[in-house]
Amino acid sequence: MLEARHLDFCYAPGKPILKDISLQVDTNGITVLIGPSGCGKTTLLRCMALLESPQSGEIAVDDEVFRYPWPKDAPFTPPWPKLTTVFQQLFLWPHLTLRENILLPVRRQKSGSMNGELDALIEAFDMKEFIDNYPNEASLGQRQRVALARALMLEPRYLLLDEITSALDVEQIAKILSYLKTLRGKHIGIFIITHLLGFARHAADQVVFMASGEIVESGGADILKNPQTERLGQFLSVIAAAS
Amino acid sequence: MSVFDILITYHVAFLQGLRVTLELCLVIWTSGIVFGVMLGVVGANAPRSWGRFIRAMSFAFSAIPTLVVLFWLHYPAQAVFDVVIDPFYTASLTFALVNIFGVGEMVRQAVADFPSQFIIAGRVCGLSQRDIVTKIQLPILFRQLLPGMMTQQVMMLHATLFASLISVEEIFRVAQRINSTIYRPVEIYTALAMFFLAVCLPINLTAAYLKKRYTRDLSER
Repeated sequence: MLEARHLDFCYAPGKPILKDISLQVDTNGITVLIGPSGCGKTTLLRCMALLESPQSGEIAVDDEVFRYPWPKDAPFTPPWPKLTTVFQQLFLWPHLTLRENILLPVRRQKSGSMNGELDALIEAFDMKEFIDNYPNEASLGQRQRVALARALMLEPRYLLLDEITSALDVEQIAKILSYLKTLRGKHIGIFIITHLLGFARHAADQVVFMASGEIVESGGADILKNPQTERLGQFLSVIAAAS
Repeated sequence: MSVFDILITYHVAFLQGLRVTLELCLVIWTSGIVFGVMLGVVGANAPRSWGRFIRAMSFAFSAIPTLVVLFWLHYPAQAVFDVVIDPFYTASLTFALVNIFGVGEMVRQAVADFPSQFIIAGRVCGLSQRDIVTKIQLPILFRQLLPGMMTQQVMMLHATLFASLISVEEIFRVAQRINSTIYRPVEIYTALAMFFLAVCLPINLTAAYLKKRYTRDLSER
């Protein structure tokens, strides 16, 4: 279980970004985080990924507990890539081809040929045409698929995804999201920030709604049909009106 | 007398001048690249101490014309300290300092401005610190720095001409002396231009090739 307990985070004193956030991400499930822009979703994901140091609270990755504030001189060894992240900005290394981008980390983690696993992902994500290009020769949608493939090749236990389908067309979104659904059976806990409420309705085991740095409502996918709070209801009606 | 005749007749003098120019370049290029890179890395890792020092020195050397520094080290400095130093060493020291701080600032800036997202991506993918440095940081920095670094070395080669003004027998001074003997400025300076073309063109072409082949768009469009 990946768990955040009573997280408080701010970049400047008196301007909290996250307020007493507690959240659990299960290994056999998909947790979808939704909320309006600027409500702290990405900051929460970065905290859960152990990339930010909250002012207080705890992050537990299975048996490892990280208590904040983290002591200044204490060694910090996060369990990466057991817990890994795909960011909204994809951070592919520009001097390597897309294939090398995928293979560099996995070759450092595992021995033996990775070609079988890579070929399966190339097939699943339709990457055959561009896999040997450099990142600057690929479209944003192509790079998004590669960034996801790079993370999946590492066989993480927890996969944190920040708006990874933002630049994909409908067909690609459908392919990637159905692939993510298949990961449930592989004991990979997925924590995803998305605006795709349709995906949340069909695939989420848990939906978390955030607003103004707080978790306003959470539960099964049914909260998207029957919101219990006014704030979530407002959010859903705004989204429905826009679409 | 054609350019070719002049080159044949005075080939010994030209070769000696060329040797001195290349010796100067060897000192300037080697010290600039070795110490400049070291200084740049140290400066990026200690921005408040070494970083400020490098920035200040680099600013000073770019603001003060190289010729002024060269003359200052050749005449007043030696008079103040009551020493006489071979002009070759004075020229070597001057150009080496200019190159060291030029390269140092280039490297410091590149290391300090290195996009942290590439490092973060390496960390979350489980790469060790060593792998991040050797497989990600160094190759990207190398590719980004290479063209600018090569251009800087060509500029330093051009700057060695100033050494003739403090009596270093480099190729420009040799050309001037031959011209004062036979007065064929068109042919002599054409020969000199051909020499610089022969040395600089491959360096510039290599820099352009490396830039095209290896530098990548770091932005995520």
